[in-house]
Amino acid sequence: MAHLPEPLAGLISELSKLPGVGPRSAERIALHLVQSGRADTRLLADAIVNASEKIQPCQICGALTEIQPCGICGDARRDPSLICVVERAVDILSLEKSGIYHGRYHVLGGKISPVDGIGPEDLRIAQLEQRLVEQPGIQEIIIALGSDVEGDATSYYLAKRLAPKGVKVTRLAQGMAVGASLEYADELTLGRAIEGRRALES
Amino acid sequence: MEFIPGFHLFLGQNAQGKTNLLEAVYLLSTLRSFRGAGHAQMVRQGQEGFFAGGTVVEQGNHEVKFYWSSRKKSLGLDGRPVRKLSEYFGLIQAVVFCTEDLQLIKGAASVRRRFLDLLLAQTQPGYLALLQRFARAVRARNALLKQPRPDAPSLEGFTREMLASGGQVMQCRRDLMPQLAPLAVDAYQRIAPDAEALRLEYQPSVKADFEVELAQSRQRERVLRSTLVGPHRDELRLLLNDRSAAQYGSEGQKRTLAIALKMAQAEYLTRRRGAPPILLIDDVMGELDARRRGGFLPLLEQARHARGQVFMTCTEENWPRELSRDLIRWEVKTGTVKPGAANPAR
Repeated sequence: MAHLPEPLAGLISELSKLPGVGPRSAERIALHLVQSGRADTRLLADAIVNASEKIQPCQICGALTEIQPCGICGDARRDPSLICVVERAVDILSLEKSGIYHGRYHVLGGKISPVDGIGPEDLRIAQLEQRLVEQPGIQEIIIALGSDVEGDATSYYLAKRLAPKGVKVTRLAQGMAVGASLEYADELTLGRAIEGRRALES
Repeated sequence: MEFIPGFHLFLGQNAQGKTNLLEAVYLLSTLRSFRGAGHAQMVRQGQEGFFAGGTVVEQGNHEVKFYWSSRKKSLGLDGRPVRKLSEYFGLIQAVVFCTEDLQLIKGAASVRRRFLDLLLAQTQPGYLALLQRFARAVRARNALLKQPRPDAPSLEGFTREMLASGGQVMQCRRDLMPQLAPLAVDAYQRIAPDAEALRLEYQPSVKADFEVELAQSRQRERVLRSTLVGPHRDELRLLLNDRSAAQYGSEGQKRTLAIALKMAQAEYLTRRRGAPPILLIDDVMGELDARRRGGFLPLLEQARHARGQVFMTCTEENWPRELSRDLIRWEVKTGTVKPGAANPAR
C-alpha cells in the first residue's frame, strides 16, 4: 500500500476489525468518511458512541436492551411460563419476526465447543437455573439452538442439566423447510423429519 | 480450451506442465490435489493464489470456478457461490490413475478410508455431510478428552452425535463393499490373468456395537486422551491369496492392485450413473508391460463408446502405441498446450 497519512491508516485498521469488512472495504469506507462533511461524520461517531454506551445485555435474559429489564422481560403480557433458549441475542429478532412466540427468552451466549475451548461454564446456563429458582411460574424451556454438531450436543446437555428442575424441556422441530419439496431435501434432514413426524389433525 | 469427447493425449517432456492439466480437472471434481499437495503448494511461485474453472457439459451446461489463496477461497457454480460442499460434490466425476495410487496399498489405513469416502461422496448425496458431521463430533470429543477433567454431560452430548453419524458412516461403507469388491477382483483378474486371488475386506474398528465398544474403551481413552473406537479407525484390507498385499505382495503386484482399485472405482461410478467418469491417466501406462496395459483397454473402450473423456499424459518416448486409434494429441511445452502434430482425420 502507498504511504497513507497516519490517521487514515489508523481508521482503516480499526474498520477492518469489523465483521464482514475486509481490507478493501475498510479502505473504501475510510476514504469516504474523510472526504464527507464534518457534520455527517460527527453524527455517525456520536451514533456509535451513543449506542455502545446505552445498549447493554438484559440482566435477566441477556437480550440487547437500553432499559433494565429489557422490553420483553418487562412486558407483563408476555407468557411468563415459557422460556425460549437461543444462542445469540440476534436470534431473538428472528423469532420475534415470526410473531408466533409470546413467551420470554434466554440468551446462552454461544454453544459448547471444546475445540474452541468453550465449555458449559462459559455459557449463561447458571443464570438460566437461577431464573428457574427466582421465577417459580416457569413451566417449559424451549431449546432453539442450531442443529449442527455443537448445537445438538448443547441441546442434549441442557436437557440433561435441566431435567431434575421439574420443568418441561422441548426443542424446536426439525425437518422439512416450509414450501420445500422432498426431492431437494438432504438425507440428514429427511431422517430428522421422519423422526419428528406427527399425527395430522382431523 | 475445449476438449471434445474422446481420448486426449498430452505429450511433452518432463516438467512442462502435463500433469497440471489433469490436476485442474481433478481439482474441480474433488477440490483436492491427487498428488496429495495442500492448496498452498498448488500456487505458482510468486503468485498469491490459483484459479481453475471450466464448463461441465452434460445435460445442460454448468459453469464452475474455483479460486484459492491464503486470504480468500471461493467456489462458484453457474455464477453463484457454493455454500455447502455436499451440494457441489458429484457434479464432476473423475477417476485418476497416477503413481501416488501405490499408497492405496503401501500407505496408512487413512488412504484407503479416503478412497472409500471419495467414492461414497461421489455417489451418495448425503454422505459427505454425514462424514463432516462425524469428523466434527470426533474433534470435539477429542478436545474434551484432552482436558484435565472432561465434563461428563458435555462428553455424553458429543458422544451421542458421534455414535449417530458414525453408525451411518459405517453402514454406508459396509453397504458399498459387496458392490465394489467384485469389480476390483474382476479388474485385477483382467490385468493379471494368471495371478493370485484378490480379496477386499472391510474391517471396521467397531466389531458389533459402537456404543458398547466405545464404553469399553473409556479407560484407555482417558489415558490416551483421544477417541479410539469408530469409523475413523476403519481399515480396508487388501489380500492376495489370503495374505496382506502390503506385507507380502511384490512391487509389481502392488502396482497392479492399485490400478485395479482405480478401475473398480471407475466401473462403480459408471454403473451408478450410467455414464463413465472422466478418466485421468498420469504417466502410469509407461510403467505397465503390454499385457497389463491390455487389461486396461476395455475401460478405455467403454469410455469411448459412451462418448466419455479420457485425459492421459505421456512423454514422447513411451506412449503406448496400441492405444493410438482415434487419439487427440496435444503438445505441452513450458506450460502451454497446443494441438499436436499428425492428428488423425476424424
